[in-house]
Amino acid sequence: MRQTTLSVPLEVKPESSARLTDLIEALRQREETPPLGHPQEYARIMRDVPSLHFMSMSVFPSHDYDPLFILEANFDGPSGAFWGQIEAAFGEDLRAMLRCCKRPLDRDGPLYDAVTAPDSRLAVAPYFEARTMRPSVFHHGNRGMTRDRILDEAALFLAIRDELHEADSDGPSPYRGASAAEAHQKLRAALLPAFPWLDHRAPKRIPLTERATDIVRLLLFAVAAVFIVSLPGIILQAFMRTDRYLIALIGLMIAIVVLLFLKRKPLPGTEAPGKFRPIAFLLRHSLLIVLMLGAYLLIAVPVATGLHMLFRGLGAEAAWQPALRAVLLGLAFIPLALLALVLRLRYLERRDSWHDAPHTDEQSLREMVRREDWIAQNHMGSIVLIKPGVLRSIIIHAGHLGLGLLLRVKATDGYLGSMRTVHFAHWAFLNNHSRLLFFSNFDHSWDSYLDDFIEKAHAGLTLAWGCGVGFPPTRFLVLDGASHGRMFKAWALASRAVSRFWYSAYKDLTVDQIERNARIATGLRRKSMTEKEAGRWMLDL
Amino acid sequence: MDARPVATAPRRPSWKLKPPHDANTQGLVVSGFGSLPTGRALFLEFGWPEGTGGGAWLNALEAVAPVTDADDPEAKTAALAFTWSGLRAMGLDRRALDSFSRPFREGMFQEDRLRRLGDRRGGEWLDTVIDGGPRWSANTPRREEVTAEAWTGADLMESAPAGDEQVTTPITVHALLLLYDANEAEAEERCKAVEAALAPHEVRVVHRLPLLLDPDGKGISRDHYGFADGLSQPIPYDEAALVGSDGKPVEKNPCNGVPLGEILIGHTNGHREKAQGPIVPDDPDGRPAAAGLMPHASAEGFFDLGLDGSYMVVRELNQDVAAFWKSLQANAERIRKRDPQHSGHVDTIWLAERVIGRSTDGHLLCPGGYLPPDGYGMPDNDYLFQARDPHGIGCPAGSHVRRANPRDALAPTAKEAQSLLDAANNHRILRRGRKYGPKIADPYQDDGKERGLLFVCLNTDIARQFEFVQQTWLLNQNFATLYDETDPLLGPAGRMTIREQPLRRIVDVETFVKMAGGEYFFLPSLSALRYLAML
Repeated sequence: MRQTTLSVPLEVKPESSARLTDLIEALRQREETPPLGHPQEYARIMRDVPSLHFMSMSVFPSHDYDPLFILEANFDGPSGAFWGQIEAAFGEDLRAMLRCCKRPLDRDGPLYDAVTAPDSRLAVAPYFEARTMRPSVFHHGNRGMTRDRILDEAALFLAIRDELHEADSDGPSPYRGASAAEAHQKLRAALLPAFPWLDHRAPKRIPLTERATDIVRLLLFAVAAVFIVSLPGIILQAFMRTDRYLIALIGLMIAIVVLLFLKRKPLPGTEAPGKFRPIAFLLRHSLLIVLMLGAYLLIAVPVATGLHMLFRGLGAEAAWQPALRAVLLGLAFIPLALLALVLRLRYLERRDSWHDAPHTDEQSLREMVRREDWIAQNHMGSIVLIKPGVLRSIIIHAGHLGLGLLLRVKATDGYLGSMRTVHFAHWAFLNNHSRLLFFSNFDHSWDSYLDDFIEKAHAGLTLAWGCGVGFPPTRFLVLDGASHGRMFKAWALASRAVSRFWYSAYKDLTVDQIERNARIATGLRRKSMTEKEAGRWMLDL
Repeated sequence: MDARPVATAPRRPSWKLKPPHDANTQGLVVSGFGSLPTGRALFLEFGWPEGTGGGAWLNALEAVAPVTDADDPEAKTAALAFTWSGLRAMGLDRRALDSFSRPFREGMFQEDRLRRLGDRRGGEWLDTVIDGGPRWSANTPRREEVTAEAWTGADLMESAPAGDEQVTTPITVHALLLLYDANEAEAEERCKAVEAALAPHEVRVVHRLPLLLDPDGKGISRDHYGFADGLSQPIPYDEAALVGSDGKPVEKNPCNGVPLGEILIGHTNGHREKAQGPIVPDDPDGRPAAAGLMPHASAEGFFDLGLDGSYMVVRELNQDVAAFWKSLQANAERIRKRDPQHSGHVDTIWLAERVIGRSTDGHLLCPGGYLPPDGYGMPDNDYLFQARDPHGIGCPAGSHVRRANPRDALAPTAKEAQSLLDAANNHRILRRGRKYGPKIADPYQDDGKERGLLFVCLNTDIARQFEFVQQTWLLNQNFATLYDETDPLLGPAGRMTIREQPLRRIVDVETFVKMAGGEYFFLPSLSALRYLAML
């Protein structure tokens, strides 16, 4: 099933900031105190907002802006049903919180007035919906697993454990001594009455249409990107002879490569060798690059031919040759354009400042730590300022767009590449794209999560977060950066806010465990297995 | 817990520090003093009234039990480390106190830290702590009480936070003196001399443990359970400050190599920078320079108090040996009853080996047997898991050795093995613990005597090293795609999965280890000690 990640940022009246914090805390305390007859905390949300996986409410103080109240939610299905459930569960709480926020000056002002009027009974969810911000990049771990399926399969896991432990508990276990295939059959027979859904096929986690859409969107992005970068070449070639054009390109490229080579070394004291090798990475993905270029050619040549026919009145026979020339010479421009961008970037990088010792407020740090490490997962919310400049701005926005589309296509096995601990995470731009928001719901401690970034995913992280003001020194966009472990952790810590209210629908399940439960359930849905298949399946039990 | 052979040759190569670091670093860093089997841990409290302080007692100590450097092994040795509250009581400068790392400043018994370490949760001590709560800690004051800008609560912008819980222990420890001697008589004699010398300075011994290391002919010491212990240590490398014991440069060990800065402050660490440590301001008397401290590289007007020092984590862990063996015996019986035909190999020893992950002699469990000894006849420690035993069929995924250092075991595929090994080596600790208490006569019979391990480890980043190992590996309920189980040896009562084909077995383990006290210490360099003596 398709899932949704969103956040709603609302500017807070500074004088009401403490009141808002208290309201969020009160809500947390109410939900943590189970109502009479309910066994566990947050039982009300579990029941009333059944689509919800993770939700948080935080107030971000800042030296540069007024405080920002952000509601973050990750749920199954489209947002309409979700907001309906939220209205029913929290409508009045949200209304009280909304009164602590500023009235927007755009067209949502009247709605704000109507919703926050002294005795208003109007639904507040539409206001939150109107102020919703879509993420620039997001990742869904255990992609396509609905909350209910996750819970059902976790219950199945526990039932299997009990069954194996308790069946014929006075004598020999019926599951010992049997072959793996037999044990599978017996387990299935024993559990089917309590879990009748084992008789049905598992719903497809990523439906074909969704998968196709993801791929097409990535291809369109690639085609658009190739076109935009080659556009100067397409224009230039119209005014130049082919040989002169190519000689000029090659000459410029050599010059830039020489300059880049001279500036390739890190500045003194800023080297932090990681494992990422950009050239090797490009070579490894050369097939993908060729495919994308092929897709571009397939679209660009016919379009260019059509344009030639339209504007120059040529026949198809005569038009395709100049069209092909324009497209190919345009492509030839891409290496030069990229090299020039990298050179300019390197120039900026060599003059960047970074934050050696970012200030962390002792009180808010206490409040963060106090809320951490109670359950299998933790939460972080962070806001950083974005470095200024046209090139940086282009890189961030194109980078986030491309990264977001690429993740949809590549991260389909439940994990985020080598990061196997992320449930729901997203980035989004705030305050007219001057700040970058990051939310993550992850497994294990915050320190171990950041260590994962530093030790395994430093290149991707540097790409996505390196645009933040104060980020440790980077090189060629992806090198060094997050590999400066201590500096990066201090920077990330200073950007965080206290996650005042945070809800997880499955507190003791890691991404890994959810995938394990899914493998077990999928196996048990099958009526029979070969001995080899069953042996592999039983390793997970 | 240095497991270097004592008597037999040839020895496995070891490492030592180069000048000037060898004469500046405490001997405990480079050696576990395997040739000195007896020892004493003396936990000291400073009894003087607040505000008087001073380091004169260190001079008195120097006369009877000088702290030894890493230069040359001695006939008897001593190591000395301080808690944050101890350094504060001695009158160390406020800015110096603030420059220590956060875990050390807050102490092990800060409430959130205790939760992460698996000791205390929601105001209650957990089962892995002795009844009535631990006996000793530094009783570090809460941050609110020592932070200059106290919370006023008068700010409209922020809500008033709740205060920390003050967790206290009956005994307050300001410093820990570790003495290592050749025999019991000498140890006892030196203890008496130390006590007599310190008493006039109002420094009292408030808790003591007799330490024991009893290496066999091969130099292997066994823990109270009977298992060879202290086998796996990180092997530091550093071109500038370290050489092999043969004088040749030390290459990075592919399995266990860590940068020296993971163990010693002021040297390059796993984050490719100098491991950070405390600093002290210069004073009109020029004491820092007189003590031999170096000017700090980036803090103008300050001297480097941390260089060649380390942070030392200490936990007194009571071990219930009889409960361990009896529980595994009962498990073995249950397993055989439930699976009479296919469990002939499952007996008490078989289960105990799976809990630990090694044979009693220290050889790693592998699918179908044990890892053969290395070229020196010692248990081979240069092994990886991913290629040999990815599913933990030999050495269980949740066994103690695999949790304590998973090496490349957490790599989902062979392709990622190297990167996961490198990641794991960013979280290594150098262990220097010793056992205390008498050997048990019959491991199945509780004799009512206290025994256990005085866990001691050295690291430069307590949060990234010791705390990470404890929280993310040992006590992580979801370690290595396991569910709802923790370290079978150290964790609370619960399950342990032992994978076999076709079907795994589950052992119900009890709480075998209970923490009786613990704290974070600073193990200063010899020049830092000289500076402290001038306070």
